[in-house]
Amino acid sequence: MKLDILNTVVSRRRFLQATAATGAAAASGLGPVPIAGSAAADAKTAAASKTVITKNVCNQCPARCGIDVYTTDGRVHAIYGSLESPISNGKLCPKGYLGAYLLYDPDRFKGPMKRTNPRKGRNEDPGFVPISWDEALSAVASRLQNLRDKGESHRFALLEGRGWGATDAGLHGTFGKLYGSPNVAIGHSATCADGGKKAKLLLDGNYSYNAYDYANTNYMLVFGASFLEAYRPYNNNLQVWGHIRTKSPKTKVTAVDVHWNTTISAADRALLVKPGTDGALALAIAHVILTEGLWDRNFAGNFNDGANQFKAGETLDPAGFTEKWTKGLIEWWNAELKDRTPKWAAGITTIPEGDIVAVARELATTKPAMALFERGPTAHSNGVYNGMAIHALNALIGSMYAEGGLMNQMGVPYGRLPAKSEDFIDDYAKSDERKRHPRVDLVKKEWLMASNQSQAVAANHLAGNPYKLDTILFYMTAPIYSAPEARKWEEALQTMFVIDTSPFPGEIAMFADLVLPDHTYLERLQDAPIYPFQGWPMTTLRVPAVKPLYDTKVYGDILIEIGKRMKGPMGEYYRALGSTENILKHIAKGFEEKPGDNGVNSFESWQEKGCWYKKPYLWRQVRGEFFEWDGAGYNKPMKPEEVKTKLLKTASGKFEFRSSYVQDNEKYAAYINKALGVPVERVGFPQWIAPQFYGGGDLHFISPKVPLQAEGRAGNLPHATSIAQPVAGGRKTVYLEIHPDTARKRGIADGDRVRIKSSAGSIEAVARLYQGVRPDTVILPNIHGHWAQGRWARQSRLPTGSASEIIVNKSEPISGLAAYYATKVTVERV
Amino acid sequence: MNYLAEPRSFAEVAQYLLNLWRREGTLQFLRLSLMLGREKSIAGEMWKYGVVIGVLSFAFVLIMLFTEGGAAFNTSSDGINWGLAVSVYIFLALISSGLTFIASLSMVFGFRDFYPIAKRCVWLAIITLGAAFTALALELGHPFRMLWAMPAGMQYLSPMFWMGIFYLIDLVLLLIKFDRLWHDDWESPLSQSLSIASFVAVVAASGMLGLVFGSMFMRPVWYGTFTAVYFVLTAALSGAAAIVLATYVAYGFKQDRMPEQLRNMASGHALPGVFATLIGIALFSVLVRMWTGLWSHLDGLESFHALVRSPAFHFEVWAGLALPFVLMLSPKLQRQAPWQTTAAILVLLGMFVDRYTFLVTGQALPMFKGAWASGLAEYVPSFTEWMLAVLGFAIVLACYGLGERLFHLAADPRHRVRTSAEPKAAPRGESTAVHELGS
Amino acid sequence: MAKWGMVIDLEKCTGCQACTAACAMENSRLPGENWQDVIFFTEGEYPSVQVKWFPRPCMHCEKPSCMYACPTGATYKTSDGVVLVDWDKCIGCKYCMIACPYGARFYTDEKPLAAPDMRKVFRSKDDHSWSPPWRMPDNREDWRRGVGVQPRGVVSKCTFCYHRVSKAPKGTPDLDPSDPAQREFAPACVVACPPNARYFGDLANPNSEVSKMIANKNGVRLLDQLGNKPQVYYLTGSGGAVPTSRSTAKS
Repeated sequence: MKLDILNTVVSRRRFLQATAATGAAAASGLGPVPIAGSAAADAKTAAASKTVITKNVCNQCPARCGIDVYTTDGRVHAIYGSLESPISNGKLCPKGYLGAYLLYDPDRFKGPMKRTNPRKGRNEDPGFVPISWDEALSAVASRLQNLRDKGESHRFALLEGRGWGATDAGLHGTFGKLYGSPNVAIGHSATCADGGKKAKLLLDGNYSYNAYDYANTNYMLVFGASFLEAYRPYNNNLQVWGHIRTKSPKTKVTAVDVHWNTTISAADRALLVKPGTDGALALAIAHVILTEGLWDRNFAGNFNDGANQFKAGETLDPAGFTEKWTKGLIEWWNAELKDRTPKWAAGITTIPEGDIVAVARELATTKPAMALFERGPTAHSNGVYNGMAIHALNALIGSMYAEGGLMNQMGVPYGRLPAKSEDFIDDYAKSDERKRHPRVDLVKKEWLMASNQSQAVAANHLAGNPYKLDTILFYMTAPIYSAPEARKWEEALQTMFVIDTSPFPGEIAMFADLVLPDHTYLERLQDAPIYPFQGWPMTTLRVPAVKPLYDTKVYGDILIEIGKRMKGPMGEYYRALGSTENILKHIAKGFEEKPGDNGVNSFESWQEKGCWYKKPYLWRQVRGEFFEWDGAGYNKPMKPEEVKTKLLKTASGKFEFRSSYVQDNEKYAAYINKALGVPVERVGFPQWIAPQFYGGGDLHFISPKVPLQAEGRAGNLPHATSIAQPVAGGRKTVYLEIHPDTARKRGIADGDRVRIKSSAGSIEAVARLYQGVRPDTVILPNIHGHWAQGRWARQSRLPTGSASEIIVNKSEPISGLAAYYATKVTVERV
Repeated sequence: MNYLAEPRSFAEVAQYLLNLWRREGTLQFLRLSLMLGREKSIAGEMWKYGVVIGVLSFAFVLIMLFTEGGAAFNTSSDGINWGLAVSVYIFLALISSGLTFIASLSMVFGFRDFYPIAKRCVWLAIITLGAAFTALALELGHPFRMLWAMPAGMQYLSPMFWMGIFYLIDLVLLLIKFDRLWHDDWESPLSQSLSIASFVAVVAASGMLGLVFGSMFMRPVWYGTFTAVYFVLTAALSGAAAIVLATYVAYGFKQDRMPEQLRNMASGHALPGVFATLIGIALFSVLVRMWTGLWSHLDGLESFHALVRSPAFHFEVWAGLALPFVLMLSPKLQRQAPWQTTAAILVLLGMFVDRYTFLVTGQALPMFKGAWASGLAEYVPSFTEWMLAVLGFAIVLACYGLGERLFHLAADPRHRVRTSAEPKAAPRGESTAVHELGS
Repeated sequence: MAKWGMVIDLEKCTGCQACTAACAMENSRLPGENWQDVIFFTEGEYPSVQVKWFPRPCMHCEKPSCMYACPTGATYKTSDGVVLVDWDKCIGCKYCMIACPYGARFYTDEKPLAAPDMRKVFRSKDDHSWSPPWRMPDNREDWRRGVGVQPRGVVSKCTFCYHRVSKAPKGTPDLDPSDPAQREFAPACVVACPPNARYFGDLANPNSEVSKMIANKNGVRLLDQLGNKPQVYYLTGSGGAVPTSRSTAKS
């Protein structure tokens, strides 16, 4: 297999630039041309060397950990967590230390390139030749202009993955609006964690992840969230763990998962749940909390007579119960919970009845406590209902907005952009003709309630339903590796004009017609407001540690430069916007009025400190009453209307066990009824519906995220590969964890090469016999199986492909979240 | 005589070679040098093949070391740190020690029956030790640094330091002793005391080699006083096997081609007796080691279970020790050349396996490589490592052939073979018949 | 004189390997040359499985068997209690690797963990075995103490980040990375550890935090029966464990 994508021609100019920037000829040559460096020669200047620390933000996950980048003699040699960052607190997870390897990755793209080989495929050398930035940007702009002139601007799609802030993904919406395409941008959230967000939207009205007050909680019930491996903000979770496990009283942790990962191993109690049945477990826990009278009466209210009337199997009169901050508890009980006994759940989840009762008692009687979950329970056909069942526990135990409980994330007071996009929308973009074209992923049509459905784009394009795309641009996403039935993308991308913006070679680039390489993060100036963390607002800034090593361009400027080359008002808008640096200077003006706790009140001080934040979180629920921060404490009582606008954003302003969002929306109710078979009158309740499994196999196939995943680049980072340690041991590869009994029945011995097969395809991997995995489940972390990431990734290594290649492309209907863990496979010895 | 035989000094050899080169021209000179004479001889064949194989394997190993470095070896920090090269070193070094033991039978302990092989033993001891050092040097990261760093370091607590000291002393004494024998000095007080000193040194050296492993309390497979004893005892056996094989090789596996004294020894009862005794002791040693290894469930001894399941171990015990033991005890077979040769070959193969399994078993249990190392470490020597082993054996082969040609290894104090009893009085120069190669 | 030592609280340790990654970065290590490794071990049967782990730096033993084994004196113990390798004296005999009970030593002149060999991708033009673009600043390199990118054919090991620790002001009882004044002196793994499971200080000072922790929380040492007397202590609390044996193949 010849993959000359890695051996792109380096022009003399770029070569010199690289040499000047690094002091090392970091040229990816034809074949393994070494990167020469001479410590001895450098030693002469050692006396004069000075170490400079620049502030940046880690790029290896969405957490926004502030980092100190150490640069001496022009080379980045160390990265540590920044003491000034309230997320990192001077610490980093293992991924954080990989930054310099990414910066100096010898396989990086050295500048913009175009494809010369019209044929596309895994084994087709793209035949890239270097072009100038002007040529590259004009090529894109004229292509987009052409589509627009033909009235086909909807046939341009931009697929976005990890967006950082106002200067990259923040530009997408405006670009789509001005250009006139509904497909700018299609987010990756449906292959990420939309299930959890949707479950929360239905219950408490907030379509987002939660912020958590881990440091003050005394009990954590973790459902499939890989708290110590991947749950964001991972670095801070680890810090919190050290604190809560040694504080007084020690925080007790129960973890629910399908194999012994580090989270479940470190927890006090391990519950090995049958995949896709977490909802049944949560419902039974709720059942026990109610029948044993352990719910939080301050938050959820009480029976009018004060006596607990919850008895298994018996319906109750809603009038006999007065709720406080919740709505629909008795209806939920009557419709669902009364029959959800631990015994019933034990039959479904395989978790012993006694354990369920014990966990319910602990959760409800330990204060404060919290239930949290992520993709484990939600990446199933019944994912949103599983998520609702789990999230509802937080209302029953009164942890919503309580100390040691859950919050929402506050926004950042950015200043205004240099130009108002509304003033630049032309008639074409405003026309009704434009509104006729649905999104190519059929969101709002076939996927009535989903926000995104990027995993549907390949198949929809191939089928011409709703239409065929002409041009596609990828930013920080590679569905060709990570989306279910990934190989479908290899087919689809053959018939589109593909633009890749990654600084690195990868599977998308193999199919790209144009490569417009971004800077790596240590070379970027870029803002990044944080993901939900502790509620209070915070935003961070990347400051370049070194000049760009190669002829690359920061992605936001690529987009702006394309915009500037468009005709009409759109081009004017981008000329007014100027550059990403200009945007940053403008948004930083917002800090003048609201200086951060660390004194950041300008662009310059933001660069110096690397972050702006303002503590505390402004609201808190204390024993059933809501208060607002008045500058000294949570002293200002809040009215129900304030709670509704600021916190519980449901129709009722309460935590709704009977979700009005779906129950009172006929279209939604009918949609759910059709998609999941739930009777229309009960669509709003957290409830048990049996998960569906696909693929035709007999073993659940789970592909969790592991700590060294490094935002998709671990495949070409030997340092990450060598320590990427699934629990059962890795080093050169990643193993398929399989229970010894399961293996024995199939004649598989430890270390055997096995084929994992589903109706979607098959890949091969090395089997590791492991007592810590359910006998009905096999585990293959999705970290390796890349085939075009660079010289290390392309070494023949098992697994032979991405786990996504054998995952059937089915999605949870409400959120659109890919049902990643709903495929069943067969495993056989090769 | 049609070859250079028994020069009395290296100057003589040089002079002879120079004359030969002048007379025969370069090409013919090289051909003669490679064949060690105009006619085919066993010594010449050994030298020829030894040199060719040695040069090729040395070139290969050097190229690999310069291009790949240690990466050409399959040893690993995660498992087997010391691989085939070290086991070849142990194998050859202990053969060397064993040969000195055998030589000491006559020269120190007065078993005069063994005089006919004494000089051959000393020569073989020198060259096997040289080959052992070569193998080790090529395995070391910095062999030349060792030459100054070890004496300068004076690490008197390090078993390896003492091993180096004792083997160095051993080598020096062997060389002096051989020089004495070369000059037919068998019984002078100096020669006598050299023999005794050499015996003491070699016990110390082989015992210390054992202690390099026996001191390793963190590696229970090796740990213990018995390891030193084990090395000394099995060294004697491998030395005995080596001299039996080497002697037969020199005489084309035929007793009747041997000088009388040697023939008497080979066909007598003493040689098989000694050989059988040494095999028996080694067999006993191997089995008692195995017993404690298998019986104990002390942490760290698990690899004995893997060893007892390996074919290599059973080859060693059954083919490498038990069968030769039977052969050398059998009154019918023990005195016959083919069976003596067979026994010697089997014992040498068995001992080679023993050194290798001893070394690998001791390292097989990973030291806190935990999740990385699942079960016992696996190791298969690389081609480069095998070439390094081949090099070691080629050195022995070539130098043996050369020694056989140059040094009259069958010399015996009781029977002077030299035609000239007073060589110093003999006329010098080309015309000296004894020294004539080309006539 | 200080006697530097480390305390690792296994109740806090999350097995994340930030220590391993940070060590590799700080000390310019090759992939797989894990001076600071995290060892996972499993026992028991489903559904009563134990999965445990513990970080394994060099133990910097009071009685380092590696040092006693070294034939040249290349391995030595500093007056402040750190075991180091002098790369100018090491002959690459690997006897110290044989003699280390903790598997803490590495001979990097061996088959690379990942192909292509990084040492060839980032080839050195001088005596260094390779020259990564991210290597530590030249003025910190110190071959007499085993710090920096090593030459070929020598053994490497954890130095307790001697290039950092040795610059700490004399008499400092503990090197706390959360204190900006001490942060640059603490070993990389200690700076890195997200759950704050690692502590570094002077074991000879009874008032140091590490000494107190060992006393108050029953610090234990790995394979203490061997008598090497590690200067790395583990606190096992109720959540952690160090194995009492090396065996990975339980039968």
